[in-house]
Amino acid sequence: MFTKSDLAKYPFIPEASKFVKDLDIKIDELANPEYRSVLNRAQERIEEAIQDALVSRKLHNYGIEIPSFPIAIMMVVALANSYIKKRYALAEAKGVYHQLEAEDSEKIIEIAKNFDWNIKLIEDGSTGIYDFSLHFTNFLKNGTVFRDEKWKLVNRVMLQGDVFLTKSEASRLLQEEVQRYIEGKLNVKIDFLPPNIMERVEQLKQLLIEKGGKFRSESLPKTVVNAAFPPCIRELYDNIKSGHHLSHIGRFALTSFLINIGMTVETVVDLFRSFSDFDERMTRYQVEHIAGEKGGRTKYIPPRCDTLRTHGVCVSTDNICRRIHHPLAYYRRKLRSVKKVVIKPQKE
Amino acid sequence: MRMGSSLSFVRNKFAEYYRSNSSFIQPPTSIEKREFGFLLLKERFMLRHRSFENVGVLRSFLKTTVPSDAYYSGAYYERPEEKMEEKGWLGADLIFDIDADHIPTPCDKNHDSWVCKNCGTVDKGLPPEKCPECGEQKFDEKTWPCEVCLETAKAETLKLIDILSKDFGFSLEEMRVSFSGHRGYHLHIEHEQVREMDQMARKEIVDYVVGIGLEATLHGLEKTSFDNRSRILVGPNLDENGWRGRIARGTYEFLLTATLEDLKRIDLKRHVVKTLLDQRESLLESWKEKGPWGKMKNVGVESWKKIALHGAQRQAAKIDTVVTTDIHRLIRLSNSLHGKTGFKKINVPIRGIEDFDPFKGAVAFKDGSVTVFVSDSPKLRVGEQIYEPFKEQKVELPTAAALLLLCKGAATVVE
Ligand code: SF4
Ligand SMILES: [Zn+2]
Ligand SMILES: [Zn+2]
Repeated sequence: MFTKSDLAKYPFIPEASKFVKDLDIKIDELANPEYRSVLNRAQERIEEAIQDALVSRKLHNYGIEIPSFPIAIMMVVALANSYIKKRYALAEAKGVYHQLEAEDSEKIIEIAKNFDWNIKLIEDGSTGIYDFSLHFTNFLKNGTVFRDEKWKLVNRVMLQGDVFLTKSEASRLLQEEVQRYIEGKLNVKIDFLPPNIMERVEQLKQLLIEKGGKFRSESLPKTVVNAAFPPCIRELYDNIKSGHHLSHIGRFALTSFLINIGMTVETVVDLFRSFSDFDERMTRYQVEHIAGEKGGRTKYIPPRCDTLRTHGVCVSTDNICRRIHHPLAYYRRKLRSVKKVVIKPQKE
Repeated sequence: MRMGSSLSFVRNKFAEYYRSNSSFIQPPTSIEKREFGFLLLKERFMLRHRSFENVGVLRSFLKTTVPSDAYYSGAYYERPEEKMEEKGWLGADLIFDIDADHIPTPCDKNHDSWVCKNCGTVDKGLPPEKCPECGEQKFDEKTWPCEVCLETAKAETLKLIDILSKDFGFSLEEMRVSFSGHRGYHLHIEHEQVREMDQMARKEIVDYVVGIGLEATLHGLEKTSFDNRSRILVGPNLDENGWRGRIARGTYEFLLTATLEDLKRIDLKRHVVKTLLDQRESLLESWKEKGPWGKMKNVGVESWKKIALHGAQRQAAKIDTVVTTDIHRLIRLSNSLHGKTGFKKINVPIRGIEDFDPFKGAVAFKDGSVTVFVSDSPKLRVGEQIYEPFKEQKVELPTAAALLLLCKGAATVVE
């Protein structure tokens, strides 16, 4: 059973939604002064997300804390900014993680079951340090984002489909699940919000812009900087330039990389033109498919380094490679140093 | 290239097969959600994005079209007949492919060869990554189904089954094993739980099965101290589950058989190699207790890591990694014919896999004979009959053997 304080800690569980529903708050009543403190807290949740990437828990007043979550969700949706959506989901999920770590095992299981996890308590202590066993599909759904080798399935203890976990590991995986769940919640459209909420949304936008310098610079420049290509892409690029055929995955890695750093479909198609068996229609189709122009929905990003390594595309690595896990991350990092060289003299 | 009459012979035989055997064509589950693809016999053209309401329509399609190869998607789609990005991916089965093409065998030099499409360089065995002469990567390959290669593939399949059942917990009923009709085996899992797994998750499964990224130190190889005395190296034991046991058993096997060259090849220091060779007997004895890990003062954790990883490689199953991670992959339809051999893809009872004889079980044509002119063929067996290599000669052969040579382009029908 969940207590009210549990609902405040984990406001995403169905019981919390029910609690809010029973309060019977109407959207157009949100302007009423009685909801002021709820709105304050909702806005604060988002501010915490922007400032610290971690939403705190204020458990002393669950009557405010619990409904502030769905309202914060509405505000984030209204912000209509993909960065803050991700950031907010992450910050909420991190908050959940901190709570979970301190919970007893039964509670963790109860929460995990909300997400249909196939999780069991290990009772007999025969497995030493582990507290839970979790079906590998649940594990993989949440664990593939981690880079540390201890999270690779091959390095786990797995028996009969169940992966053994410590309490902190289970909590960490749940954090991912919660983050994804909240991201899903944020992917909706809202038509109308009362003016007093929109006012708060405006304030948050301002804060976001102040803080925004960091994530802005994260986006890539419009021109393609060949000098910042990672070794794997350089190799593929040179190969294709000299008329060599690429493996399937090589082709995919190169194309998706170039599209993602802003090369046009046209230019990418031209790259393949030198082949004797060049088929304009097919090539264009494939490149557009990767660029996501045709169906609209899918835009692919290049495979991660470990995938490229598995398929033999990662041939040589350099210093930067050691610090990144994705060719695009390499590009971003390298850009900074390239830019320093190229752009600085112009400014001075 | 095949002569006209050879092609029509093959076509007639394939047509005859589908006329009288189409009732054996089993539909994949949720047939209406699968994409189908067919390689057309005459045109050598791949027809994709087909879909069938039910198995009846599929069977009559096979009868009238007579493809050289028939495939369906491991994936389920809302609209299988649409272009890829509009199909609406719903999920995909978990599929493993074990193909002799990806396993070097001692005999591939005897029966396989390749020609560089660019410069014409020819050599025996499996083709290299790049042509040593011109660097191109396109080859015409000539490979043969061979007993030794297929036994190797079968051994890998057994390892795969072991990993999937013990570690992943799939029951034997949930795994379907089949012989591809050419050079390998497929293992197919349709379990609800695996359907929605994304490519990253599937890649983790691949890495598990192949042992990519394996870290012995995360599987029990570590220094621990007993009653506060000096720290001593411990490691996994033979009877442990999962990769721990596999690392231990692989290490045991490696220590048992390793030659001086083997040990040098994995980059061990000279004194380590010497110790391992000198102390082989006592190291092997040590498995009766805690294993060899802490036994030799001058063999440290770094050396053991190398040995363990090398040993573990023998315990991994050598699958074609791309097939499992590709969530749009087409796979051959069971009981359809393989265009490169005239054999059929056939399900193998998982409990009887060790006794399965692909050169008998997959034979699709049991009657008749035909006279062919064979340009060049390796030693072959079809059914009980063994054929020594043919070179530039006319022979009368049973239909199945003749078809194999015709499909391989190694023979023509004598009119
Ligand atoms: S480490 Fe990553 S970025 Fe560097 S070469 Fe390899 S795949 Fe490319
Ligand atoms: Zn060549
Ligand atoms: Zn062979």
